[in-house]
Amino acid sequence: MTALGLHRIAALFAVLAMAPAALAQAAAEGRVELARPLHTPVMNKRYGIVAYAGVLSPFPPVAVVYLEGSFPRPAAPATAQMVQKDLMFLPWLLAVQVGTRVEFPNLDDTYHNIFSYSPAKRFDLGRYRSDERPIPSQLFDVPGLVTLRCDIHEHMRALILVLDTPHFAVSDAQGRYRLDGLPAGRYVLKAWLDSKTTLERPVLLQSGATLHADFP
Amino acid sequence: MIFTREPKSPGFASFRTRLLLAIMLVVSAVSTAGLLFAQHYVAASVKRDFQREFQGELAALHAARDVRHAALAQRCRALARRPRIHAALEDGALDLLYPSARDELFDVMEGGGPSRETGTYALHARFYRFLDGKGRVISPPNANDVGELGPGEESQLNLGALPDSPQTGYIARAEAAAGETVDEVIAMPIISTENGEIISAIVLGFKAPELGAGIKSGIWLNGHLDLPALPAAARGGLAGEAARAIAAANRTEGGYEVQAGGAPYLLFCKRLNPGSLFPPAYEVSIYPLADSLARQRLLVWQFAGAGALLLLGALAASHFVSARLSKPVEKLAVDSEENRAQRYRAEAALESTSRELQRSARFSADASHQLKTPVTVLRAGLEELLAGQYLSAEAREEVAALVHQTFRLAGVIEDLLLLSRMDAGRLQIQFSRLNLTPLIEAWLDDLGALPDALGLKVDSSYPPALWIDGEKRYATLILQNLLENARKYNRVGGRIRIAARAEGGWAILCIGNTGDWVAPGAQEHIFERFHRGSVGENVPGHGIGLNLARELARLHGGDVRLARSDGEWTEFEVRFRLAQDPGEAPGTP
Repeated sequence: MTALGLHRIAALFAVLAMAPAALAQAAAEGRVELARPLHTPVMNKRYGIVAYAGVLSPFPPVAVVYLEGSFPRPAAPATAQMVQKDLMFLPWLLAVQVGTRVEFPNLDDTYHNIFSYSPAKRFDLGRYRSDERPIPSQLFDVPGLVTLRCDIHEHMRALILVLDTPHFAVSDAQGRYRLDGLPAGRYVLKAWLDSKTTLERPVLLQSGATLHADFP
Repeated sequence: MIFTREPKSPGFASFRTRLLLAIMLVVSAVSTAGLLFAQHYVAASVKRDFQREFQGELAALHAARDVRHAALAQRCRALARRPRIHAALEDGALDLLYPSARDELFDVMEGGGPSRETGTYALHARFYRFLDGKGRVISPPNANDVGELGPGEESQLNLGALPDSPQTGYIARAEAAAGETVDEVIAMPIISTENGEIISAIVLGFKAPELGAGIKSGIWLNGHLDLPALPAAARGGLAGEAARAIAAANRTEGGYEVQAGGAPYLLFCKRLNPGSLFPPAYEVSIYPLADSLARQRLLVWQFAGAGALLLLGALAASHFVSARLSKPVEKLAVDSEENRAQRYRAEAALESTSRELQRSARFSADASHQLKTPVTVLRAGLEELLAGQYLSAEAREEVAALVHQTFRLAGVIEDLLLLSRMDAGRLQIQFSRLNLTPLIEAWLDDLGALPDALGLKVDSSYPPALWIDGEKRYATLILQNLLENARKYNRVGGRIRIAARAEGGWAILCIGNTGDWVAPGAQEHIFERFHRGSVGENVPGHGIGLNLARELARLHGGDVRLARSDGEWTEFEVRFRLAQDPGEAPGTP
């Protein structure tokens, strides 16, 4: 919802930033075959990220589709938000370009203590409440998957996928995605499914054309 | 054989002694058995109380230790769930494992904070380590933060594999100053939240629990006994005992009595970590039995003293009781002996009396019979002489006197015969109604016929008929004897008085005469046989008349008594049972 909206805004920013470089823009859309959920999502969710057999995956399943390649970093750091509300991270899966600062506002009435021991980013925001100003934030400058935990609420889990590309999109629940404003050329299109699974396929993007690419 | 009353005779003494011995034996046996039983019972109960006290104390301490252990385990369990530790293990940040744990265990580790506790049961950890997937210790980056352990000590934490449940273990620590001590460790598995597998284990080391003051307890680990409360020498022996007890019993718990350092102890072994992957450790608790044994010894002395007093009391009591019990028996025995002796004597006397009596009666009868015949022959011969013509007048008078003497002799013989028959009980009175008056008149008639040398005067007053119950022959004899006496013992010119009357069912006849009185001292003897008192020899008589009269009167149901004898007057009284006057009796002619 809001998170997804922000997501798209961030993607749009990225596309706009690249606009002068590419005269004609390509697009890609398609469908990613998502894993069948183990059970129907419940109304009062507590888990956005589930772990099964050592694999962390979003629930319900979505995919992050991104275009891998060598793209210029943004001049000004982008900003994204991951809030803590009802003892959950929202969104629980956040894809950002390298160099993005992510803010972690606490919308709950209780303390949270977000930390990560992931190799891509280690940090510890310490305990804070909703009135904490400035809003605690972290700059993600190394690509990779970052697992976020709360030291106080051991069930809270979130993933931030730090990508070295401005072209990425999160699919809907059916796996459909669309990437606009892509540069033409040969690239590798990747679909991140979970902590252990990333699908990829080489694509040839042509200006003004929309490539249809399904995974797998 | 003569029996006399002698309570101290050997027979009675032995009876009393036997009784005393029997009572003493019974009392001694019963009281000894009772005392022994009571002593055993009390000793057993003292021992049981001691054991119970010990076990209760031990159980309380175990409960406290279990609570502490549960708290420690809970603490470990909470630690094993900490997100940072999980993050370090799951997110590939092993370098952050120990630092994260240090932060988490900041309040648990000793010396970690200003508010550290110093109590025995403090939940402070001494060291902690993590185990890797193969159960080996993950080396800490900085030993200062995690509690220092020597290589030998750390190697004791290695388990063959990761445990799937909390494990309790004990490791020996070689601390130079305090000697060998043992630390308790708890290994808590860490289960991944990502795949549900055991990915590690956290091992926390604590100071081993110490039990209370009364109980000395230590930990037996790998053949070593850590029991600082005991001197080293005693500890060595005790370790052997504990090892033997553990090996022999092959069970997790048990109580034994052991000797350590010359003092007895009650030893309990309990497996501290049953089913653990760590080497087996046993808690060895010893409780000094010296107090218990001293109390038991005291008890034995007290019982012995009480028993001695009791036996002494029993001796006195049984002496008293036996004396009391034997007294009536002794009395009975003495009495029965006396009775028997008396009976023997009486029987013998009776027999002899009876024999004497029979003999004398037979003698009297025989003598009388034997004498009567010669007297009759003599009189017949003398009377023939008198009838003959050969004697001079002088000689005739002599012979006449002799004839008279034969009559007297015959009378004496008759009397003797009669007495002997009475003595033998063979004299039976043939009672009939008898008028006494003719008998008196007949005698008066006879008196008139006798030559009167004394010139006696006779007064008589009697009713015309006086009927009595009796036999005429013997009643006559009574009267003749008394009247003859009244005549014989009279004086010259004296007086005889005969008075008869009926009075109150009796016929009373009083015969009095003048003459010498019967002296008071002799009065009681005059009715005895052959007693003649102080009468002169010139008075004829043989001393059986009064006796015969009284015996016969008594056979008639009456009596003869001396009514008075004073001055010149002596009076006898005869009484017969009065019979019914035939004139008054209706229906009789």
